[in-house]
Amino acid sequence: MTYCKLLAAHSYNQVQAKTEFEDFTQADKRSLYGDQLGSMSFLEGLSIVDEPKIIIVDIGAAYTKCGLAGETGPRCIIASQVRNPRTKEVDNIWNYSNTSELYESLKELVYALIFKHLLVTPKDRRVVVVESLLCPSEFRETLARVLFKQFEVGSVLFASSHLLSLLTLGTNTGLVMDIGFKETLVVPIYEGIPIMKGWQSLPVAGKAIESRIKTQLMEHGTVSTSEQKFEAVSSVPESITDDVIEDIKVRCCFVTDFSRGQQIQEVTMRGGHANKLPPPPPDIDYPLDGGSILNVSGRIREHSCEVLFEQDNEEISIATLLLEALVKCPIDTRRVLSSSVVIIGGTAMMPGFYHRLNCELIELLRKPHYANQLGVKQFRFYRPPTKENYTAWLGGALTGALETLPSKSLSRDAYLQRGKLPDWCCVDSDDLCEEKRHKL
Amino acid sequence: MATYADLELVKYLCCCKKKFSVCRLYLCKYCLQLRCTDCTQHEVDTPYCPHCLENMPSGEAKLKKNRCSNCFDCPVCGHTLVTRSTSHTSPSPDDPTKTIAKKMYYMACGFCRWTTRDVGLPDQSVASGSWPILQNPHEQRISSLLENYKIMAQIEKAEHERKKYVSRRSHLYRQDKYGGSAAGLRRKGMSTFSSMSSTESKVPGELEPSVTVDSFEPLPNEYFTEPAALVKTTKLAHRHSVPEFQPTEISKLHPIHKHLLMRKSLRCKECEHNVSKADFNPSSIKFKIQLTAQHHVPEIRILTPSTFTMNKETIVTLTLSNPSVFGMTVSLHPIEDESDTDYCSAKVELPKKELLLAGRDEPSMQMYDDSSQADEFKDDPKVIVFRKGNKIGFVVKVTPVVNEGDVKIQFMMKHEFRNTTAAALQSESKEPEIVWLEHKVYMNLGPIAKKDPNVSQA
Ligand SMILES: Nc1ncnc2c1ncn2[C@@H]1O[C@H](COP(=O)(O)OP(=O)(O)O)[C@@H](O)[C@H]1O
Ligand SMILES: [Mg+2]
Ligand SMILES: [Zn+2]
Ligand SMILES: [Zn+2]
Ligand SMILES: [Zn+2]
Ligand SMILES: [Zn+2]
Repeated sequence: MTYCKLLAAHSYNQVQAKTEFEDFTQADKRSLYGDQLGSMSFLEGLSIVDEPKIIIVDIGAAYTKCGLAGETGPRCIIASQVRNPRTKEVDNIWNYSNTSELYESLKELVYALIFKHLLVTPKDRRVVVVESLLCPSEFRETLARVLFKQFEVGSVLFASSHLLSLLTLGTNTGLVMDIGFKETLVVPIYEGIPIMKGWQSLPVAGKAIESRIKTQLMEHGTVSTSEQKFEAVSSVPESITDDVIEDIKVRCCFVTDFSRGQQIQEVTMRGGHANKLPPPPPDIDYPLDGGSILNVSGRIREHSCEVLFEQDNEEISIATLLLEALVKCPIDTRRVLSSSVVIIGGTAMMPGFYHRLNCELIELLRKPHYANQLGVKQFRFYRPPTKENYTAWLGGALTGALETLPSKSLSRDAYLQRGKLPDWCCVDSDDLCEEKRHKL
Repeated sequence: MATYADLELVKYLCCCKKKFSVCRLYLCKYCLQLRCTDCTQHEVDTPYCPHCLENMPSGEAKLKKNRCSNCFDCPVCGHTLVTRSTSHTSPSPDDPTKTIAKKMYYMACGFCRWTTRDVGLPDQSVASGSWPILQNPHEQRISSLLENYKIMAQIEKAEHERKKYVSRRSHLYRQDKYGGSAAGLRRKGMSTFSSMSSTESKVPGELEPSVTVDSFEPLPNEYFTEPAALVKTTKLAHRHSVPEFQPTEISKLHPIHKHLLMRKSLRCKECEHNVSKADFNPSSIKFKIQLTAQHHVPEIRILTPSTFTMNKETIVTLTLSNPSVFGMTVSLHPIEDESDTDYCSAKVELPKKELLLAGRDEPSMQMYDDSSQADEFKDDPKVIVFRKGNKIGFVVKVTPVVNEGDVKIQFMMKHEFRNTTAAALQSESKEPEIVWLEHKVYMNLGPIAKKDPNVSQA
């Protein structure tokens, strides 16, 4: 390393002696570029000896987790957002209207990940992309184009977040539920193979809780300033930004316990009298920018997360997803799957989530519908060695550290020859799509 | 209204067919082509700490996860922490009746007043380093998982090699680049993980199986009776800044080692020569190599706004400046095959003669007398309206062909370029070879005047 430094310092001195616009004499040039090349090849030599670490990236609907293979956690968790160069507004990268727009924003996002957080040179480096089974193929194609064409990475492996999560547990069987931002997706995996008949999803997760908070605030919320007390939130809607809503969710709200939840739903869903509601937790004075105070009622704090467990007309909640998934699985797999539930995704980090989910499941298992079909009394849950929002990422970090990675990845050469991703790139996305069409 | 200094009004076409203002482009001296940031490969040069401005060798930066050992950020507000010293007095171990003073250090945030004492971190006896590093509680488990998978991967790889060898020998069949048919690979893809895990049985007893639980703690009662303590609860950004810990209580936040920045160098994607490489010293703003187009390609700007009317010829004054220290000849030409339909809302009459530009000569620049310089260059006053140092003002005649929207024109600019690359210099003459470069230039001259004379012009 010091040798390198010397070389660099040497050529630097030579350049500094000249002004930027001056042209160099031939001798200067030779020695300058000679040194340059010398130090370059020396560095390259080093990087071969010291195997460059593989980039692991999980571009979630709300948050992107990124880091290097073999490490115990991601280097960064950042919002999956970039600033649109035209409108100058920050926008989520999944809100794209066409793939060229997506290309531009993925380019920005990956650039920030690589050059701001990882500080690695992407060229010829291997990448593992952690993705949901529901990831649209145009997204995957565009991401591949950005990685191979823009950043010239050496190879990419697309791996499913549900499968990867099992790797963090040293097992190959599990009933995996991902409850992130946009949706909840349950995929049963038996002996390493996703049971495609069994996957279940519901567009209810962190975002649904936030929408509930927002509608409640708009309907009943009040803001107080030093001049005016209890002004309706609906008259100052611009003060309630998405960030504020998320912060209210994270710092004020919780998943209430089962019996209170039942009482609340009796009133909010089935028209029971409001005096049946359990006494609400205390309100909170939430300070907004500019000194005004938002009143976050105890009801908002307690009721918002109910959206996860309310059974709609089709009697589906996030808890029934697990049971329905199990019903769709072959009989001989059900017992082992029901005792290996894996929960991933940031929304599971809401206080009270696991206790409530477990109670919901126990209650549902008592219902004749499930009791007869499943014969399961109890679910058992794994606790991965992670925080829920990066469990899948850690699975990627484990895969990425293995010798078998190259043989499973798509190389840049292969990609460039074809110009697109071969269909084996994502495990079974086609099967899944077919499946989806059936369901619709 | 956009000002006439707006960089986006004049754009040059990059080799990739995207348009950029000249200050966003590089000129590769080897390919003699314009390159935008997309046409260059970005590389990490030495990382450095933005606070103490120390370079960190990339090997060390890798080990330290790109964080400075000596500088810390406030975990609450992100401001840089400052070290404060206090003196502790304690009874002397030799003579209990005396006390000795000892310097102790803690860190504090000058912005939000957070200190390391707030979270119960004991003061340190040395000014920097030595702050305890949080350990991921699952580190052990994860590394035994990894070790286990590594063994399995080796077995799998060996098996794979063996099979490949056997099948090649017995069938003499050539696998294609993707290693078989799509269907076969699909199956392979599916079993990617199963094969990995099914080999598990071959290393029995190595890895302790993960445990499962069937019950969870209910929410503590405070949730129903106490108002949430906002000031004590971390925001999501705090949690995500330490992914492996994500504490919910402010009191669990530890000082964060400052993240390094890096200087990057850019290489032409075609020929892999550097087009930009920063100085080694982090506090320097100089470059070792800086081939930004602005230093080599003459820059065109719009001098003053003009008023346009459809089908009426308007004289527009543009300026042209020479960034090189040598004199330069520039010529402007219409683009024959006008492929860009967006930039042809007007007919343009360009100067027919070549435009001669003086070299950029900083110290004497102001001393030039305009008129004498104009004489020296024998300027036609109808074309060159002024001349100042390395810059001229010249006129083009523009006739809009549309009746609303912006007047946009395009033309080709040819200019001399002294090729000083090593290869070019090796030619016999030892003089830099002079080559002509061509760039397509796209300009937005401003909007067509509104019909209504009462409406003030934008
Ligand atoms: N530490 C946390 N505590 C509470 N909620 C969290 C936490 N981290 C993330 N979340 C919530 O979880 C959701 C994001 O989870 P994540 O699994 O990262 O989603 P995705 O992968 O869909 O982006 C967001 O709605 C966010 O508000
Ligand atoms: Mg996710
Ligand atoms: Zn380009
Ligand atoms: Zn530092
Ligand atoms: Zn602070
Ligand atoms: Zn080049």
